[in-house]
Amino acid sequence: MHERLSFYVKRESLLHQLNPLTKLTLIFGLLLPAFLIPFYWAPHLLLVLVVFPLAILGKVQREYFTATARLILPVAGFLFVMQALFLPGGRTILAKVWFLTLTQESLMLAFANAMRIMVMVSSFTLFMLSTHPSELMSDLTQRGLPGQFAYVIIATLQIIPQMQAKANTIIAAQRSRGLDTESSFIGRIRALVPLVGPLVFGSLVEVEERAIAIEARGFTSRRPKTSLHEINDRPLDKGIRWFLLIVMLASLLSRIWFS
Amino acid sequence: MPIVKLRQVTYHYPLTPTPALQDIDLDIEEGEFVAIIGPNGAGKSTLCYTLAGFIPHFYKGELHGTVEVDGDNAQHSNLSDWVMKVGLVFQNPFNQISGAKYTVFEEVAFGLENLGVPRAEIIRRVEEVLERIGIADLADRSPYSLSGGQQQRVALASILVMQPKVLVLDEPTSQMDPIGTREVFGAIRKMAEQGITVVMAEHKVEWIAQFADRVIALWEGKILLEGTPHQVLTDERLCEKGFGVSRYTTTARLAIPRSLWKKERPLPVTLEEAVAGFSDSLQTHRQEGRA
Repeated sequence: MHERLSFYVKRESLLHQLNPLTKLTLIFGLLLPAFLIPFYWAPHLLLVLVVFPLAILGKVQREYFTATARLILPVAGFLFVMQALFLPGGRTILAKVWFLTLTQESLMLAFANAMRIMVMVSSFTLFMLSTHPSELMSDLTQRGLPGQFAYVIIATLQIIPQMQAKANTIIAAQRSRGLDTESSFIGRIRALVPLVGPLVFGSLVEVEERAIAIEARGFTSRRPKTSLHEINDRPLDKGIRWFLLIVMLASLLSRIWFS
Repeated sequence: MPIVKLRQVTYHYPLTPTPALQDIDLDIEEGEFVAIIGPNGAGKSTLCYTLAGFIPHFYKGELHGTVEVDGDNAQHSNLSDWVMKVGLVFQNPFNQISGAKYTVFEEVAFGLENLGVPRAEIIRRVEEVLERIGIADLADRSPYSLSGGQQQRVALASILVMQPKVLVLDEPTSQMDPIGTREVFGAIRKMAEQGITVVMAEHKVEWIAQFADRVIALWEGKILLEGTPHQVLTDERLCEKGFGVSRYTTTARLAIPRSLWKKERPLPVTLEEAVAGFSDSLQTHRQEGRA
């Protein structure tokens, strides 16, 4: 459980080799066109012609499609059903059951919206699958992000499993003293107090030691930091980022132009 | 020329009426291994934090007297420069993990990254220190997946890689099982043999007796005794105060009135000395029996 603290899957692929900032830009380079381009098939085409090939290019298609099936599809599916049934303004009635009306317009719009959500969540998923958090943070730190900020992000990601483990210990300790954690809803709510208290206060006490530990490693040194990992930023990366920037601007302009 | 020089050091934690340290004078030579013993609350940790610069730079409160390491005064330096002179390893191995890194290699490199050491040198120094501490096989593991003894050796490596002049250890094995203790002391012994100046607060007297060049016994913030491990650890006053006495010393002390330990023989502090002394008495008894 400890070894797996992020979604990252280690692979040798073209996607993995890209600079983290390029991949971060890629998220928005997919997201903005999907939401902004006023052409009905834009999100669908983006998903099939860009997102799916990217997953294969990144050699993470298996992980990506599993995540899609488990996480993204249910959400997008729910959204689709709700919008299809309740979006107002449709005229071409396809079916009518009791008070529910299904129109062609709402069906199409709901489908497009579901696709937009798919593109958005997919691009984030691909990013997380192919980028190691510490790689991202080293890169952003080298670009001028304050070290403290990067530390908070990474330490938070790492602390979650630790907190879970600690919470389990506290639960076991309190139950061995007879705390009722399995009765009625109200009983469980009441049981939260003696569980959350030690967890929060214990963590606050640990903060002091943690602070000493990172101070002892020169964390507040004013010298410019270096990085163990060399994060390459090739001309190709710069090219892709410029291209994505143009795509984002173009989709924004197309939105303004055609509406 | 001593590398560590403390003169009349007195320190009060914020809002406390009694000083945690009082009139401490201490010189430590380069390459020396000094052990600090004392009951809880005697000022061991406070002394460690003072040497490591966390007093007065991290903990506020009142510090009087001078703390000098390698010719520089702690009060006039800033903490991030001071940590390059004096490295600190403390009790809880878990809380010493930075939390910012995913592998042991990266964890050990963290300090050097902060100090702006060039990349090639980081790699060289981390590899060297992992080898030296004997944890090279852990390099790719997550620091959180290790045992206490392993984590503490990672903490030790993370400090040593910064090449401090003085290494301060505050009860580095107090939360460790016997195996972890042995692992950590093994690593510390290697450091000491390589001539690093070590100051260690520790309860485990039998280990101290084997390692230390000098032992300092603290009592209520003052230096009670100071000398070689033998002089200090067998002193009557430790016995009166009830700390820092090894079970071998206690056993031998109890054996004297029963004439099982010779009065003229110095009291033992290690297992080997105890075995030698008791077999000597036993032999004498046998010879007397025959005569």
